[in-house]
Amino acid sequence: MARLALLLGAVAAIVYPIPLQLQGYTYYQTVGFLVLVNAMLGLGWNVIGGWAGQFDFGPQVFFAVGAYTAAMLYVRLGVEAWIGLPVAAVVAAVLCALLTYPLTRLRGHYFAIATVAIWMIAQPIGATWELIGGSQGLFIPVKPRPDALAGALSLQFSGPTKALGYYYAALALFALTLGLMALVERSKLGFYFRAIRDDQEAAEGIGIDSRLYKVVARSITAAVFAAAGVLYAFWALSVFPEQVLELNWSTLPIMATVVGGIGRLWGPVLGALILIPISQIMSTTLGTGPLAGRGIDLIVYGLIIVLIAAFRPTGLLSLPWGRWLRVRERARGARQRASER
Amino acid sequence: MAALLALDAATKRFGGLTANKDVSFAVEAGEIVGLIGPNGAGKTTLFNCITGYMHPDAGRIVFDGADITETRPETICGLGVARTWQVVRAFGRMTALENVICGALKRANRVREARARARELLEFTGLGDKADVLAANLTLADKKRLEIARALGTRPRLLLLDEAMSGLTPLETTAAVQLVRRIHDELAVTICVVEHVMEVVMPLSHRVIVLDYGVKIADGRPDAIVRDPQVISAYLGERRAAR
Repeated sequence: MARLALLLGAVAAIVYPIPLQLQGYTYYQTVGFLVLVNAMLGLGWNVIGGWAGQFDFGPQVFFAVGAYTAAMLYVRLGVEAWIGLPVAAVVAAVLCALLTYPLTRLRGHYFAIATVAIWMIAQPIGATWELIGGSQGLFIPVKPRPDALAGALSLQFSGPTKALGYYYAALALFALTLGLMALVERSKLGFYFRAIRDDQEAAEGIGIDSRLYKVVARSITAAVFAAAGVLYAFWALSVFPEQVLELNWSTLPIMATVVGGIGRLWGPVLGALILIPISQIMSTTLGTGPLAGRGIDLIVYGLIIVLIAAFRPTGLLSLPWGRWLRVRERARGARQRASER
Repeated sequence: MAALLALDAATKRFGGLTANKDVSFAVEAGEIVGLIGPNGAGKTTLFNCITGYMHPDAGRIVFDGADITETRPETICGLGVARTWQVVRAFGRMTALENVICGALKRANRVREARARARELLEFTGLGDKADVLAANLTLADKKRLEIARALGTRPRLLLLDEAMSGLTPLETTAAVQLVRRIHDELAVTICVVEHVMEVVMPLSHRVIVLDYGVKIADGRPDAIVRDPQVISAYLGERRAAR
């Protein structure tokens, strides 16, 4: 049942852009790209926020670190994005470990505030550091590629297939992240993270080094954010502080995770599938009308969050779907038996 | 043979209050030692010092030859000391099995190995049929058993039980006492129990240590302890002791 749903989802994700592309539409590929990027970020945030239970409101710092690292490698040294991406992930994870270790003495709100503080410190650094282009940032030039394959291998797509190319690149990275996170969830790390979340003292009592594993959890989060940052930078063809250090790079994935189901592997995926299209479709359908550009999508987000917080704080995936679906199957079975009679 | 656990004049103060004052005792491998005393006698503080959640202001704690006076809890667990808590601290959002897996992972490299060990321990502690129940939904007696199973997962040589029987019905208490005996006999674990209930400690323990206002006032066989005038006065007051 679950395997069938996974297969159907995968097929839908791979196939849906093709008819659109053939008809010359590219908009929904871009929406899909943004859904995937946010789902991937949510998967990353779920490690520190969902499993390890430490509220981190500053992971966008590592999104920026990733974007800048790969962009610098590409612009200054000519290193292609797919090589820059793992480098960026490692740089972000190491930097995160160094920054987070002192923070692990803090708990609860104080940890959360400290993560915000690091983000606030990162902003002036990004805006003034000449080496990385200061407030103007870096522009990523599109080099001419002979064919689509060369484009895919260098993570550079242009022309009418740009949206489609980045959609599939995002899908590949998302699938990789999902697979890795599924492994983490079932590994020793997954157990230890959740033990620390549920009771830090008890976790230490059974031999879990809470500070070490909090650092590991946040570094995994940082690596995922960095990878997504690289993807985003090559899509946007530029990296500048206000763009990559924007607060939305943490709030949207966090909201997606909470709406879908915090601490559940598929939670952020479901959340991103619901939230991102709402914002995109609202901002385009409202167009130039009286409500356009007034942040109406944020009002809707607010409503969704209020409803989730009030009625199902553990997220949509925590609803008793298994029972509901089984009831329906049983009802269907009963109808069939009745009709056979 | 050197003692498994030795406290040498351990002192712990909280501001003006001295919770433990010059407490010295030793626990030999293979013993069941009872640690008793009235409320506020400093029993839990002593446990916290032994397991590394607090560090004594003066004195030394040695486990199996290693000085653990300033060692952190996770390291002490690695050396072979495990504990349970007076107020239960099960991992509420994980199942009983997952709770014990977390403990077993201390000595297992793979989750599969830890899972097998955890199932054995759940059977051993009588929670075999509750493996997939969320820990938060267990009864108090089962949560206490779960904590013991989780602690056993770390393969301790010394198990410290902090009021593992308080708040239980007489029937549950009997079962818990049996479990402690089986841990001692079948798993060859040295055990130190903190307990209020005299009727539980006396028949269970090979030796009883009594704390009062943070000071050790008696240390000996249970039958000697119950006749000790200082102990009687600590528990029942001066007038009865004088008789």
